[in-house]
Amino acid sequence: MISLDKVTKRYGPRTAVDGLTLEIPAGELFAFLGPNGAGKTTTIKMLCGLLFPTSGTVRVGGFDLRTDGGRARELLSYVPDQPFLYEKLTGREFLQFIADMYGLSRDHGRRRVAEAIELFQLAEFVDDLTERYSHGMRQRTVFAAALVHEPKVLIVDEPTVGLDPRSVRQLKDLLRRQADGGVTVFLSSHSLDVVEELADRIGIVDRGRLIGCGTLEALRRQAAVDGSLEDVFLKLTEPGDEPAAAAQGGTPP
Amino acid sequence: MSRAACPPFLMQRLRWAMLRNALRTLFSRSLVRPLTVVLITLLIATLVFLGSAEGFRFLDQDAHVPLDGQIIGVLLDLLFRALGVLLLFSGGLILYGSLFTAPETTFLLATPLHDGRIFACKFQGATAVSAWAFALLGGPILVAYGVARAAPWTYYALLPPFFLSFVLLPASLAAVIVVLTVNVWPRRRITVLTLGVAVVGALGGYWVYQILHEARGGGDGQEAVNRILGHFTFSGAELAPDHWAARGLMDAAAGDVLGSLEKLGLIAITSLFGYLIAEFTARLLYRRGCDRLATGGPARRRPGGAWMDAALTAGLPFVSGRTRLLIVKDFRTFRRDPRQWAQVLIFTVLVTFSIMAGRRVFAVDIGPTYQSLVSWLHLGVVGLLICIYTGRFVFPLLSLEGRKFWILGLLPVDRGQLLWGKFAFASAGALLIGEFLVLLSDMTLEMPWPAVLLHVLTVIVLALGLSGLSVGMGACLPSFRETDPSRIVSGFGGTMNLLAGLLFLLAVLTLTAGPWHLLAASRLEDDGTAAWAVLIGAAMGVALGAAAVVVPLRMGIRALRRMEF
Repeated sequence: MISLDKVTKRYGPRTAVDGLTLEIPAGELFAFLGPNGAGKTTTIKMLCGLLFPTSGTVRVGGFDLRTDGGRARELLSYVPDQPFLYEKLTGREFLQFIADMYGLSRDHGRRRVAEAIELFQLAEFVDDLTERYSHGMRQRTVFAAALVHEPKVLIVDEPTVGLDPRSVRQLKDLLRRQADGGVTVFLSSHSLDVVEELADRIGIVDRGRLIGCGTLEALRRQAAVDGSLEDVFLKLTEPGDEPAAAAQGGTPP
Repeated sequence: MSRAACPPFLMQRLRWAMLRNALRTLFSRSLVRPLTVVLITLLIATLVFLGSAEGFRFLDQDAHVPLDGQIIGVLLDLLFRALGVLLLFSGGLILYGSLFTAPETTFLLATPLHDGRIFACKFQGATAVSAWAFALLGGPILVAYGVARAAPWTYYALLPPFFLSFVLLPASLAAVIVVLTVNVWPRRRITVLTLGVAVVGALGGYWVYQILHEARGGGDGQEAVNRILGHFTFSGAELAPDHWAARGLMDAAAGDVLGSLEKLGLIAITSLFGYLIAEFTARLLYRRGCDRLATGGPARRRPGGAWMDAALTAGLPFVSGRTRLLIVKDFRTFRRDPRQWAQVLIFTVLVTFSIMAGRRVFAVDIGPTYQSLVSWLHLGVVGLLICIYTGRFVFPLLSLEGRKFWILGLLPVDRGQLLWGKFAFASAGALLIGEFLVLLSDMTLEMPWPAVLLHVLTVIVLALGLSGLSVGMGACLPSFRETDPSRIVSGFGGTMNLLAGLLFLLAVLTLTAGPWHLLAASRLEDDGTAAWAVLIGAAMGVALGAAAVVVPLRMGIRALRRMEF
């Protein structure tokens, strides 16, 4: 569903992403980890068509983001770390706008909006202007909007920041359910416990290069560490080590 | 899943829903704010209308200039050309901000919405905002022209379509320039912008020089007038849309509806063609431009200009250390935002040209009466520039701290010091620009030294007073939710500040410099009373200036100390 083929992205003289190759099949929950400045957000932005690779190809659902970006973006939803809401719209108006934008028919759109309101328990505040929402209310609205058009790919950047434990639990359940339902979830996070609990496969990127990719077990073997994901991550991204090429080339087992 | 095409007018419906909600919120609270904004708008429009009506009456009855003649045609050409240039710059700056830096853009670009539709939505918003001043200034002038010519109703009916058709063209040109600049010179866009302003300024300067050369050439009166008019109708005016707009409205005022519609058609077709080119350019290059802007330079940008901060720090030894730090922070933010300083630069260059042109035009055989009136007019223009600078850039300073305000709020400094820092920053900038321009004007007009001293004093009073007003009112009426300075300025607080600033400007011009200029213009013999009138006026102006600094700042400091964040 997601395919990156030898993707390189340069910011002037600096290489942010270096020859990244990755295949993520439908229904997989893939976690993307890396230290700050490793190239995670750049990769995500290329997946959404916000940035173009300097070389290589990015495909979503078989559509090249550069040449067929509109078709590719129809398949995906992106929840950034600082999600955007129109302050002068109510939550319901925002959800309806998203349904309209993705071309859902009137009836289907209304039904999906109603389902999203129920699923994310927005009923209490969904008819208020979003400028009055708390962080948790905003996050729930944003996720409702991301799922209202039933995307095939869900790209999520740091979704748990600022959420209370109950909300984090609900979010983890939601992401798992989405993946089990056939949606490809691309999750970028620094919350290693969340990743450890949820991810089918984990990719670790450092200084623009994929230095590890696979299940937690595979990464443990690669790092020669028999500990938590935190231990594996710290071992693989140890300062001073030159980032090694991914043992598995980012392809699923 | 049943999918249909993305419905038409989706973004327009979105904007309409947002406007409806904003208005509902506005009216649900208090009617004072919306009514004040409407009344102030009407007041400004009425003042422009009355001034223009008096101007047309003067030209018609006192100067015997036919209102359907070539001179009026040239003046209307110039009006549309000047408004077009302003639209080009302001539209370009607003469009750059909304196309490439607004958070909404990132959100929309990650959706399947077509790039052309995103561009169209942003283009409409930017054009509407930049055309607002165009309508507020140009509308009353053209209505006054219609009244002076006793134009039929068709003239007034044709005004809006002429406006709408005309504003599209400079806005489209601005869009093409912005998208191309970001694509071709993503790292050098500021340099390119500055060079563009310099080139336009140089061309404008050369044009003014040509006219003045003719004006000073002497010769037969009618011949000289024809030569000068020839320069105003330069560049094949028959093919220029500003000329079509001016002549189309003159035709409409004369009752020639068909002739007017013909020119309206020409403008509309040209503007729509311009828009098509802009949209085509955006379809091809908008998304690429976003990519180029994000990655065209090094990811870690190291801004230069540290020497400017050092110079400012060294130049403020009389200010306390913490206040100095706050001033340098505001200065740094200001100079790193080209949208802010470019507007100041453009206005300053335009006023400089206006001053230079005034000197040249009246240099030959200028009498003391005109000399005095022209220099007073220049003082007024400089004051207006300071008023725009403080209203547009200083008033939103505190609001722009926005959600980051807690950083300043937690600093171990008295909150009053924050405002004094902003006041010092604002007044230093206003003083520098204002004194430079007014001294340039006085030197070129060879004004006597008492007038120069009075003008220097007037600018000091204006710079300090307007800065005090804007900083104080900015603290009393902040808008922490807004991140866009233009929206803060066009809100209730910004409008009130602008109105207070204009009234203050009028009062100071009248009190501080008014008596001297009136005496000089009327050429009365000084019997001692005149000197007293000048001194008392100046003293009252200074007192008013002191009040404009102290009262708003004290109110602002009190509001800031009570503020919760």
